[in-house]
Amino acid sequence: MSENISISLPSKPEYVSIARLTASVIANKMGFNVEDIEDIKVAVGEACNNAVLHGNQDDNNFDVEFTVQDDSFIIEIRDKGKGFEVDKCPEPDLCAPKENGLGIFIIKSLMDEVEIESFCGKGTVIKMFKYLKEEV
Amino acid sequence: MALDIKKSFIDDKNLWNFELIGEVDIYTSPELKEIISNSLKEKESNIRLDCERLEYIDSTGLGVLIGILKTLKRSERDIIIANPKSNISKLLKITGLDKIFIME
Repeated sequence: MSENISISLPSKPEYVSIARLTASVIANKMGFNVEDIEDIKVAVGEACNNAVLHGNQDDNNFDVEFTVQDDSFIIEIRDKGKGFEVDKCPEPDLCAPKENGLGIFIIKSLMDEVEIESFCGKGTVIKMFKYLKEEV
Repeated sequence: MALDIKKSFIDDKNLWNFELIGEVDIYTSPELKEIISNSLKEKESNIRLDCERLEYIDSTGLGVLIGILKTLKRSERDIIIANPKSNISKLLKITGLDKIFIME
């Protein structure tokens, strides 16, 4: 089974919560546990933040596509912005903590698999996977 | 869900206490920054964030707190995080921020 749900949102901070809530509702229906649902919600929020802050021009929407499979939940966030250098996302340095740059690190920490493609001037695609595990 | 912030100054502990209710995200974090910054202009002191009813915080909210901590550290002051829910503790732990804030 593979089913798709797509939403397109204006690149404004007030719309990010819609993507987060949608992600948590779908994850809940799929049978993820509370901790996994929370991880998915945070990761989707961070990816959408990235689209709003660094990705799109004001008049563009960004797209969120949810793919529900038997054993996995795949979420893809696409913007049409200026892109960024994926390799230059450092891990947090506690000796010199920074106000920004934590988002991608958080996504990678919380999801099972993350693929990021960013093209200078053409936008960014963040694809993330969470696998349904058998509860012990 | 929006964010509601209840602030009070606790004289005997000489600190600002902010009760955070709801969600700190890309939309609400500017409000958090403004309220804390204005309070510090009024009176500079340690800050305690009561997170018992905080449901969600993201990197933009954590970024605001890091920025404020940098200012506070110049006068050797701190941010205390009290009663965080497990999802928020997890985020502080994976980012290592539980080591730069005081966890209560």
